Amino acid sequence: MSSSKIEELKKRRQKENKAKSSQIPYAAIFTVVAIVIYGVFLKINLKYSTFWIIGLLIGFTIQRSRFCFTASFRDPILVGNTSVLKAIIIAFIIMTIGFALVQYIFVGDSEIFDIYNIPGQIHPVGIHTAIGAIIFGIGMVISGGCASGTLMRIGEGFILQIVVLVGFIVGTLLGARQYEFWDKLFISKSPTVYIPQYIGLPIAMIGQIVILILLYFFVDWYDRKNNLMMM
Amino acid sequence: MSLYNRIIKKPWPYWVGGILLGIFNVILLTTTGQSWTITTGFLYFGAHILNIFGLQPSDWYYFRQNTWLLPGETFIRNYYTVLNLAVILGSLIAVLWASEFKWKKIKNKKQLFFGFLGGILMGYGTRLSFGCNIGAYFSAIPSFSLHGWVTAVFMLVGAWIGCKVLLKYIL
Amino acid sequence: MAEVRIDCMYETCPIPLLKALKQLEKMNIGDILILETDHSCAVTNIIEWAKKQQYNVDYTELNEGEWEIYIEKVK
Repeated sequence: MSSSKIEELKKRRQKENKAKSSQIPYAAIFTVVAIVIYGVFLKINLKYSTFWIIGLLIGFTIQRSRFCFTASFRDPILVGNTSVLKAIIIAFIIMTIGFALVQYIFVGDSEIFDIYNIPGQIHPVGIHTAIGAIIFGIGMVISGGCASGTLMRIGEGFILQIVVLVGFIVGTLLGARQYEFWDKLFISKSPTVYIPQYIGLPIAMIGQIVILILLYFFVDWYDRKNNLMMM
Repeated sequence: MSLYNRIIKKPWPYWVGGILLGIFNVILLTTTGQSWTITTGFLYFGAHILNIFGLQPSDWYYFRQNTWLLPGETFIRNYYTVLNLAVILGSLIAVLWASEFKWKKIKNKKQLFFGFLGGILMGYGTRLSFGCNIGAYFSAIPSFSLHGWVTAVFMLVGAWIGCKVLLKYIL
Repeated sequence: MAEVRIDCMYETCPIPLLKALKQLEKMNIGDILILETDHSCAVTNIIEWAKKQQYNVDYTELNEGEWEIYIEKVK
């Protein structure tokens, strides 16, 4: 949605500026480096080669789509925009199906789940989860980027994000150092809740997809309703 | 030229990113048995540096209780390192193909302070909630673990507090 | 018709968006806001927001990784 006034201004500014230099030669060099490293991993460690190629694709995708997890939490609160959150909900629906299939192959038809070895991220839930998530939420908004955003922006050339990364490393070390305190207070007493344990994998999958779809429509409605700053 | 523009130059819509990231995470889980995680890699990197300085982080309660490494991996040579470096390089390659790379300086001391503080807060939080926005949220909800949903709700609470701080002190 | 320029170089999200929002409140109808940024996410972020407000909006890349966003206040 542009107007003639803006078009004019844009043309004028483009004329005033010199031609841009191309960074494509560097792009080609780094692409070759990435492929060579992939080749080396294929020879010495097949598993790492998969991590490498998927990592490259993830980094490329996050950068190209400007995918920002911080924005998905922050923008609904700040300006009522939920388009990143909607994209994440779509990703969740895809992954719910995919993860369920992988876990189903692992678990099979057995009634007893070995929850500590099921593929995926399954961890104890309790007060520590809430405290950790709140601390993390504050951190990501004030530093301007979450974990994936920090990595992506280092690639984009943000020096600030290197500082954030150093802070991140210091923070994880502090957290690990004081883990004993939290473990004895909350974590060791908290249950690990794997939802299919109670309702079975098929129902868990279908139920979660239904919830995600409902959430999508709610978030879409929220976006249309909220236009201005809420605070 | 128009194909170049569409794929390399113009930002993709968010939903394209969402679909692709979802698919990549499923492929990762199918082929390696691991889902996408980030911050535990930062911890191992930090532990590796402490090792160099002669401290013995492997004696810590945390490392005795939890082993997230695959057999034969060390603090520095592990799949987290491979993944994290690949994400940085992947992003760098994307920026360079678009000719949009620029070293971006730190604007002022305030930005530096809040960046560093935010980093520490995030790092500390990940040890409590068993992961960051990826490990305890993006990969945890599809794993059907309740802690993923709890993390999502309270991260929103944290983001709300963060917005208050941002409007009051940073803007 | 006035042109107002704000410099958001080296700022991270969501500062550019909030600065634009504040500035636009002070401006008259028909004025154009020019926002300079080097944050790739801010470009998408601001344009999406401006479109939602039904402002006229466009952007151009002036140097490698530096953009100017033009927002015309229409109401």
